[in-house]
Amino acid sequence: MIPVRDDRRHRGFVGMWGWPLSLAALSLFGLLSALLGQGGVWWLLSWIALAVPLIVILRCILRASG
Amino acid sequence: MTRTQVRAWFLVHRWTSLVCTVFLLVVCVTGLPLIFGDEIDHWLDGDPPYANLPNDAPRASLDELVAIGRRLHPGEIATSLFIDDDEPQVVLSMAPSWEALRNDPASERWIKFDGRTARLLKQSLPQAERRRGFIDVMLTLHRELFVGLPGELFLGGMGLLFVAAIVSGTALYAPFMRKQAFGTVRRQRSTRLRWLDLHNLLGVVTLAWGLAIGATGVMNELSQPLFALWNRTEVQALLDPWRHQAPAAQGELSSVQAAFEAAGRVLPGMRVVSVVFPGADDGSPYHYLFWAKGGTPLTGRLFTPVLVDARSGKLTGAVRMPWYLRALEVSRPLHFGDYGGLPLKIIWALLDLATIAVLGSGLYLWLSRRKSPVEALIAEIERGGAEPAAAAPEAAE
Repeated sequence: MIPVRDDRRHRGFVGMWGWPLSLAALSLFGLLSALLGQGGVWWLLSWIALAVPLIVILRCILRASG
Repeated sequence: MTRTQVRAWFLVHRWTSLVCTVFLLVVCVTGLPLIFGDEIDHWLDGDPPYANLPNDAPRASLDELVAIGRRLHPGEIATSLFIDDDEPQVVLSMAPSWEALRNDPASERWIKFDGRTARLLKQSLPQAERRRGFIDVMLTLHRELFVGLPGELFLGGMGLLFVAAIVSGTALYAPFMRKQAFGTVRRQRSTRLRWLDLHNLLGVVTLAWGLAIGATGVMNELSQPLFALWNRTEVQALLDPWRHQAPAAQGELSSVQAAFEAAGRVLPGMRVVSVVFPGADDGSPYHYLFWAKGGTPLTGRLFTPVLVDARSGKLTGAVRMPWYLRALEVSRPLHFGDYGGLPLKIIWALLDLATIAVLGSGLYLWLSRRKSPVEALIAEIERGGAEPAAAAPEAAE
């Protein structure tokens, strides 16, 4: 087992996983809110929660080409 | 993460992805129109409209509908009724006999009625003239690749590999992203690097949805064996007291309308939406098998079976559903995305397109370096895709 060389510029756990974990939690909320909630606002929250990952993708791609 | 670990995750990711990618592409592409299956079916079917009646118009007796079917097709048996709770339709299915249906499932026909006026709206074409509809072809490809149960189990296995590929891909995200900010897409350096960045970005952002859709897809592919297991164990045990009887023939059935009402009474707050006639493989030889569902988004997906003695018309009772069928029922909406209106369907389609991009970019990443030694590819991940420096420190390791 050869440890990958230490690098001072490594990002910490939050820096690495903050975005992915937040988006995963948001997706999970979106998946369940429309199913467990009784329509209305729960549908709206579900749409918003599940649309955020898509908006993030779009922003990253636009930023890269801009 | 040590290099040995990176290497292990890389090999798992490479091989699980390689085996499942082509099939997953088929599943994702056919899944796209299926998300809007109801809308497309409605748009294509061109059925005559329902009578314009108030919402609380009384419903025609199911006995009358079955009698119309028998008059239209003398000698055939009624196999099931679907009593829609969305639209005022009732669909009666008929077949030459249970034996014929077992040998050739396509021998079944359907007759669609307006459930209030008992007016016949549409009938299925004779078997020889039937053509598979677009959605039907997509669904069959999506679910079983046109090879029945083996296809379902095979695609279930591919779904498991897909889940393993997502997990291993997420593990590789860590060493790859050590020095990059979230969402970095480097466009200028090389095509490969751009696709590597996009593959990581799209993969990690759609992580939760991908895992959910993959796991619930696997669950759906197990539907046939799970229902067969339940039928062979709990349902058969329940039917033991009737074994001394001969199976109920169509000529000796009691009123299906009366049985329908009896079944509805035992489950207040639930709606009976279908009945399977005695003799079906997925029913009882002695009973009408009714399926009832609840009224909320979640309980509307949880079906409870109710048995009514088909000769006497006496209620036998509701049947408890085992946990694995409950899990299957909950996994359906989470896979189909049909529980949050049209906006949710559109989001489902966009996430599906993102998944297609992950699969496609993964395939490209493999094709463009498939001759490279594994060590070079692992080094690429550990460098975060950057070009090796002239005196790469990695070379010393």
